[in-house]
Amino acid sequence: MKRHLTITMEPIDEASLLAGRSVSSAAGAVVCFLGMVRGTESGKAITALEYEAFERMVEHQIGLLFDVMGKRWPVESVRLVHRVGLVPVGQPSLWVEVVAPHRAEAFAACQWLIDELKRVAPIWKKPMGAGGR
Amino acid sequence: MPISAGTPAASELRPCVTMRVTVCFHSWFKDMAGCSRAEETLPPGSTVDTLVARVLVRFPKLADAQRSMLVAVGLEYRGRDCALSDGDEVSIFPPVQGG
Repeated sequence: MKRHLTITMEPIDEASLLAGRSVSSAAGAVVCFLGMVRGTESGKAITALEYEAFERMVEHQIGLLFDVMGKRWPVESVRLVHRVGLVPVGQPSLWVEVVAPHRAEAFAACQWLIDELKRVAPIWKKPMGAGGR
Repeated sequence: MPISAGTPAASELRPCVTMRVTVCFHSWFKDMAGCSRAEETLPPGSTVDTLVARVLVRFPKLADAQRSMLVAVGLEYRGRDCALSDGDEVSIFPPVQGG
């Protein structure tokens, strides 16, 4: 399984990521997820989220998730980008792509990866702006 | 020089062995502690629990958050009964919120 993880301060460049997509003839499904910063947090208006990561541990923990994912589903490739630093409302903080032979495993693997990332990746967010700090 | 009565045995003369660990605070735990890193010297056989107790005395503002506190030794999550070793880097942080 090909795997690629990026933790970046830069805006997520979807066009560039899509241009870099590689799908073999054995793959019949590409599931792509984009996590956006909402304009409210706990019911209060915000202008941005400031993400902080313990990067070495994030890389290690997501690497372990990739290991498990590759054993549970016949995933051909996975790419995950998480932005850190200040992310304005309306911009993506997370981009995930899973390529697999069929849609069921591609959806399941992508959903599982995001759920697990939220559970174990040491990343924190602080709401900023009108209703934030 | 002969050892006279009352002289400590050689084993008793050995310096007390301690271990040093580095504690790293992340997210708002860093604000509560007022620093991102601290050094602690612990007795041999100390566990994460020993360290956390020591940290809470030194940084009492973290006490209210101890129930939700997560601990990693190196890059792995560890429980309170995990034995520590000299030179360990122990990270202490609140629940994670990625995505």
